[in-house]
Amino acid sequence: MSRIVTIDPVTRIEGHARITLTLSDAGKVEDARFHLTQFRGFEKFCEGRPYREMPALTARTCGICPVSHILASNKACDHLLSVTIPPTAEMLRRVMNLAQITQSHALSFFHLSSPDLLLGWDADPASRNVFGVMRKDPALARDGIRLRQIGQTIIEMLGGKKIHPTWVVPGGVAEPLDAVKRDAILALLPEGLDVAKRTYAFYKTLVPRFVDEARHFGTQPTLFLSLVSPKGHLEHYDGLLRIKDAKGNIVEDMVPAIEYERLIGEAAEDWSYMKFPYYKPLGYPAGIYRVGPLARLNNADACGTPYADVALAEFRMLQEQGPVASTFHYHYARLVEIIYALEMMERLLKSPDILDTRVRARARSNRDEGIGVSEAPRGTLMHHYRIDDNGLITWVNLIIATGHNNLAMNQSILQVAETYVDGNRMQEGMLNRVEAVIRCYDPCLSCASHAFGEMPLVVELADARGRVVDRLERR
Amino acid sequence: MRPHARAAPTQRQVPGRSGAAPASRTLVIGYGSPIRGDDAIGPLAAERLATGPVPDGVRVVSRHVLTAELAEDLAAVDRVVFLDATVEGQPGEVRVRGLAPDARAVSTMAHFHDPRELLAWCETLYGRAPQAWLVSVAGQSFDYASYRLTPCAEAAVAAMLAEVRRLIAGPSPSAGPDTGRIG
Repeated sequence: MSRIVTIDPVTRIEGHARITLTLSDAGKVEDARFHLTQFRGFEKFCEGRPYREMPALTARTCGICPVSHILASNKACDHLLSVTIPPTAEMLRRVMNLAQITQSHALSFFHLSSPDLLLGWDADPASRNVFGVMRKDPALARDGIRLRQIGQTIIEMLGGKKIHPTWVVPGGVAEPLDAVKRDAILALLPEGLDVAKRTYAFYKTLVPRFVDEARHFGTQPTLFLSLVSPKGHLEHYDGLLRIKDAKGNIVEDMVPAIEYERLIGEAAEDWSYMKFPYYKPLGYPAGIYRVGPLARLNNADACGTPYADVALAEFRMLQEQGPVASTFHYHYARLVEIIYALEMMERLLKSPDILDTRVRARARSNRDEGIGVSEAPRGTLMHHYRIDDNGLITWVNLIIATGHNNLAMNQSILQVAETYVDGNRMQEGMLNRVEAVIRCYDPCLSCASHAFGEMPLVVELADARGRVVDRLERR
Repeated sequence: MRPHARAAPTQRQVPGRSGAAPASRTLVIGYGSPIRGDDAIGPLAAERLATGPVPDGVRVVSRHVLTAELAEDLAAVDRVVFLDATVEGQPGEVRVRGLAPDARAVSTMAHFHDPRELLAWCETLYGRAPQAWLVSVAGQSFDYASYRLTPCAEAAVAAMLAEVRRLIAGPSPSAGPDTGRIG
């Protein structure tokens, strides 16, 4: 008789989810599923709204990554206007996106994942949390907060102190940057880069401890999807779509983002509110792919900034050949991207044109369909709108970074569970590893869900007839 | 030496703040979702407070949620006033209570915090926590995709701000987690 283990809620992730593991009579893991249990419906209730409201509306999808939605949404609106935004506006948008990536990655690494990395997978759950990290290594925890604060301060300096910045607008940005703010932002960056480099150096000393996890945390062969610059470099704001396979072969390259539907299909399952995007030419579910920091670094030929390029070269050495496969190395990739973001912000802000006052192209809607794609911290973010003659939204499709990773997250859970979970002798540390592989993706379920509600984690153990015979719950 | 083994950090100047130390260092944080009806009362009240005359040394911010980096902002002030909505009480009722750091008050959402947890972060990392108050208004409707306060919540904003002004007009507290709690 098989059994089902449920982990509910999954902890230290954004949103509410449940994991179920199905065990055979012999206690061996046969199947694993990651269920998104919240429902929201943004795509539906945006219908009928003026397209110019979309950046503000979709920003409210999430209190964590509003900047990402603001940027992708405004890019979709730029497309509706049929305008190319002024170069300075594009640079300023890039700075805001990089600030968001800095603060988001910092939270993921320092506060959500560091309890496992510093205290160990099998540490007492009562102390395996951020307070445990603060006690063990307060300087590390303070560094994380400082990076968060630097990122947030830059966003506020650019966008104002409203909850959701309205500074980014269709056609560009609402206000140019002045020299005082530029200099204030530039003054923050050296400290941020010092923190990032220090943390990166420290993390490299930790990596050898996790050889086993790196070998078993989501090493399934998948494609990798991301934007790259026209030169093939790391890209977060614009650029072209690239897909690499697990061996490193480029299977799609320099695909305009507005052609995403040619590459990406979306499937649904009746056990989760999250969609299951897949690479169309391979079909569902064979078209499994990953997005986010790991995919971006695997796809990029170079970062294009000095220290990040050194770190990228070291990242590539994590694996003898081909793209870095292990989902565990999302952590590593995040730290490389923080370095890149801080270096690139400095470069952009030192551009001679950054204070140019021509920052907005004005137009009315000039087409009835708009697509905006950018790289959010967690991966490629796609906003797609259709409007009527009055500029009212008639249809919306949002493909969220965490959604792209849905198939991969499910496969990763299965691999970790098969490796670590013994159904005959369940231990908390086993289940923590199952959760931890999800945390590698840093999922934001508030965004990915087409849902709202709570985000706790449950692991259930069920028999062959689906009866729950054991249950581990965290609230 | 471990890469992170460094001296305890000094207090950082919050960007935009003048060099002279203000008489009282107070932070007012309004937080809540702007699309969940009365849940928006905290940030809306904070924004209205910020548009009027604000005493020296008082900084006002609005947030969707309380996030980790605010721990360092708390470490730099003597007093913090959180503005939030609540489901407890009669709609429109304004309550004021003191808060103490509490590491057990953990939000189920990983990326944001209960104010008591945020105070605990501050205390654990920086060795001190400011005197803290929560001014809350009982909401009537928290419907999704609702962009306006209900009339009773709207009517309570003035009373909420009166409590905030009363708190921030008080004498500067000495820093410490135990000062001035009432509940």
